[in-house]
Amino acid sequence: MVDAASASVVRTEGLGMVFRGPDGDIRLFQDIDLAIERGETLAILGASGCGKSTLLGLLAGLDVPTEGRVVVGDAELTALDEDQRARVRGEQIGFVFQAFHLLGGLTALENVMMPLELADRPEPAVAARRALEQVGLGERMGHYPKQLSGGEQQRVAIARAFVGEPRLLLADEPTGNLDRATGARIQDLLFELNRANGTTLVVVTHDPVLAGRCHRVLHLDGGQLVAA
Amino acid sequence: MKAPRQGLRLLSRDWRAGELRLLATAVVLAVTAITAVAWLADRVAAGTEGRAAELLGGDRALVSNSEIGPEPETVALDLGLETTRTLEFTSVVLSGDDTQLTAVKAVGGAYPLRGRLEVGDHLDAEPRVADGIPQRGEIWAEPRVFLQLDLEPGDPLELGASTFTLSQVLFLESDRGGGFQGLSPRVMMHLDDVSDTGLVGPASRVTHRLLVAGEPQSVSQWVERVEPGLGDGAGIEEPGREQPGVAQAMDAAERFLGLSALLTVVVGGVAMLLSIRHYAARHLDRVAVMRCLGATQRQIVALLTWKMIWLGLFAALIGTALGFLVHLLMLALLVDLLPSLPAPSLRPALVGLLSAQIILLGFAVPTVLRLKRVPPLRVLRRDLGDHVYRGASVYVAALAAVFALMLWQARDLLLSVYVFGAVLGTLSALGMAAGGVIWVLRRQRGQRSSASLLLSGLTRRPWTAVIQIMALGLGLMALALLTVVRNDLLATWQDRVPENAANYFLINIQDDEVDGLRAMLDDAGLETSVYPMVRARLVGINDQDIRPSDFEEPRTRRLVAREFNLSWLERLPEDNRIVAGEFWNKNPSDPEQFSLEEEMAERLGVGVGDRLAFEIGGERYSAPVTNLRSVQWDSFNVNFFAATAPGFLDDAPATYITSFYLPSGQSRLLGQLVREFPSVTLIDVNAILDTVRGIMDQGARVVELMALLTLLSGLVVLLAALQVTREERQFESALLRALGARRALIRRLAATEFLLLGAVAGLLAGAGAGTAGVFMARQLFELEYTFNPWLPLIGAAVGAGVVALAGLLATRRLYRVSPMRLLQEADDG
Repeated sequence: MVDAASASVVRTEGLGMVFRGPDGDIRLFQDIDLAIERGETLAILGASGCGKSTLLGLLAGLDVPTEGRVVVGDAELTALDEDQRARVRGEQIGFVFQAFHLLGGLTALENVMMPLELADRPEPAVAARRALEQVGLGERMGHYPKQLSGGEQQRVAIARAFVGEPRLLLADEPTGNLDRATGARIQDLLFELNRANGTTLVVVTHDPVLAGRCHRVLHLDGGQLVAA
Repeated sequence: MKAPRQGLRLLSRDWRAGELRLLATAVVLAVTAITAVAWLADRVAAGTEGRAAELLGGDRALVSNSEIGPEPETVALDLGLETTRTLEFTSVVLSGDDTQLTAVKAVGGAYPLRGRLEVGDHLDAEPRVADGIPQRGEIWAEPRVFLQLDLEPGDPLELGASTFTLSQVLFLESDRGGGFQGLSPRVMMHLDDVSDTGLVGPASRVTHRLLVAGEPQSVSQWVERVEPGLGDGAGIEEPGREQPGVAQAMDAAERFLGLSALLTVVVGGVAMLLSIRHYAARHLDRVAVMRCLGATQRQIVALLTWKMIWLGLFAALIGTALGFLVHLLMLALLVDLLPSLPAPSLRPALVGLLSAQIILLGFAVPTVLRLKRVPPLRVLRRDLGDHVYRGASVYVAALAAVFALMLWQARDLLLSVYVFGAVLGTLSALGMAAGGVIWVLRRQRGQRSSASLLLSGLTRRPWTAVIQIMALGLGLMALALLTVVRNDLLATWQDRVPENAANYFLINIQDDEVDGLRAMLDDAGLETSVYPMVRARLVGINDQDIRPSDFEEPRTRRLVAREFNLSWLERLPEDNRIVAGEFWNKNPSDPEQFSLEEEMAERLGVGVGDRLAFEIGGERYSAPVTNLRSVQWDSFNVNFFAATAPGFLDDAPATYITSFYLPSGQSRLLGQLVREFPSVTLIDVNAILDTVRGIMDQGARVVELMALLTLLSGLVVLLAALQVTREERQFESALLRALGARRALIRRLAATEFLLLGAVAGLLAGAGAGTAGVFMARQLFELEYTFNPWLPLIGAAVGAGVVALAGLLATRRLYRVSPMRLLQEADDG
């Protein structure tokens, strides 16, 4: 366990989350110990409302747990303030969302440039063009999200997720808003890029097919993470 | 990340996406209003201050009511200074039977010692610098004289007993002064021609000036040597110190215009708050994604702040340029009142830049900066951080910005507090009235199903409707006040003037002319009373000497500082009433009594029994006050603040004054009068009233421009509200059409909503302006003004028309596009 932990890209220790509700505290999950290795792909399955997305958010440092700690690379997210966590995200983590979350007023190219610009990387347009070409959208760089289909929008989101060469890619229901055929193509692209970049992938999904393509599948059930 | 560059890039992306355009429009309008006033004030100030010596015509001027002896000029020549003399008085000029009251300036050979005259051979000529002064027998006149008497250069013109040739058009007289003081058109003549006209007698009202110019040291020496020997009614004028009244009037006008410009800021501010809230709501997800992608709070703040700074910069550039154009329009409106002005400086552009940043800092930045609080987890949970951009601090900042701008424009804390309170009070009253109307409409809606759908436009979104009514109402109210109420007040005042009120005054009548003049007026069938008039200065109350500085109130100070007209009364004039004490008999045993006008007595703090001392030509006349009179000044009869019983002032030098009513079409008598009695000054009240009305109209039109900008801002509020409710409207329109409603019905629904909105705003604005008119009439002008019942109706009609037009234009797309596409767009958000 200790060895595995030291080689891991992300790990959690005694992770727990309690919400204060109108009728008292609600415990979403507790005592989650998890270590995910470099290059590994992990699927987290579970019923709606079981806390999968919250767990993903904690792994990204988007929120802080009520118990335990999260470590990404060398950084213990739970010991950092919000801005320090943002910096870690900018440097090490990429995201793909179910609702794509592209910025409406920006073109495909500008959307992909965004994380590079935030990190003040040199020549963001060059890298962004390359990323869009990799996802097959070299011809549609100047298009706005509204002018793209759902599948194309998700491909832009994938290009944006990979353009900063993150160590960890987190995906929240990446095919949830897409038809089966488009979803399958998006899955292919995601795994292909993941392999090519040596990224660690954590995907939250309802889709057993998508989960089946991952090295490891865990269920969040009754506040505990258990192997499928 | 380089925040300024990134901010600019983000702004350009927002702009392309159509975001922030209404915000920018509101800022541009506000900056336009502020800088228009700044450009105008800057140029007028530079035109008056920058040429102080030119305005005086010399380095110093000795000014006197009586002829200046040779001594001061000899001293000046001894010191090596240049000198010249001028003489100014008002007189009527004649062309055939047409008369025109003019301000005459007679000038000596070396005039002007500083500054210049510009003349032309005809009215359309390019002005050129004059070579010298009018030749003897010639007169130069302002374009107004040519226009009003329908004259051409070369025509003859009678002035007093002489006939002159009107030889040049006088375009610029640099020492005319920079302000609004010159009511009468001006003519200029040679000093040596004055005696032949017979216009200037011993007691005539004439201003004599001795101008000197030269080395500063010699000029100072001249002042030191001459000033101590000056008697009453004489003084030394210095550049920049002359005409304090004009400077004050200009300063007050600038402050008033500046404050009225801020109405545009207040109304535009509502549009800014609405559109920036909409912007913030739409950017919650964007900020959450940016934070998720690694942006720190500091980065978000820097980006958003720079975006606003750039926006302010561009809006300021456009607003300042538009303000320049509006100021040119204002100058065109004021062309008769202002002297030619120097080129503008760059200061107003700085004012524009600064005010744009203050406006954005107050109205937009606090809302935008609250976006830094958007939790990054919102990318996974859409309900988080929905309301981070709301908070009381947003409104506190907006009010603080408005107050700061008011303080800046008014340069007076108390005035700023009053104006701030008045604007807030008016907005609150409009808001409450609008809320009441919407409440009534809601009740109607429940009771009548047929009206239900038509009224629903306003009642479905009551808060948005109230805000729109408040903003549009304020703009319409300002316009209504400046147009309808102003005219009503003038008409009310004119109605108070009796039908046959005197329309001509004759002043400067000499003792030996009284009988002849009275006979001539009697022959013409005119009833008149001729009153004596003695120039006196109030010097003591109850045996104590008084000085202007003993009094706080400026008008009382002026009263004590200046000579004013004292008369004697044989009987109480018809429009006077005794309010204290008793009026004397026709032949009083003791002529040493004073009668005072009641308001003057109150200002001086004296009553019946107090002793007043007046100085007349070096002699002191002291007597008790035996009665106080109330005077109906707007009867246009000759009336006096202070009078004595007959016999007291028999030794004092007096001229006489009379007034009469001459129906139009009998101007031949005027010609006879002026020819027979050349030293008598004829004052045409109608002409003066026309001039005053002209000045008021010109001034009012400038303020109307500001009110129009305020109304435009009100329309931006309407558009901002439409933008905020766009998605809702789009969905409703699509749904109704999907349910079978025809396009005509949808358009009718929208038209009803806009007509109602504009009508309610206009109705309240009209009612508000009317109420303000009644208040102003009573408190400021002491007039009984009855509320004009048409005002709310006119307001409602104008409001309905303007708002319906703007609203339908802005929403026309909603009725053209297919419902399918609208529903899809509504889904996309």
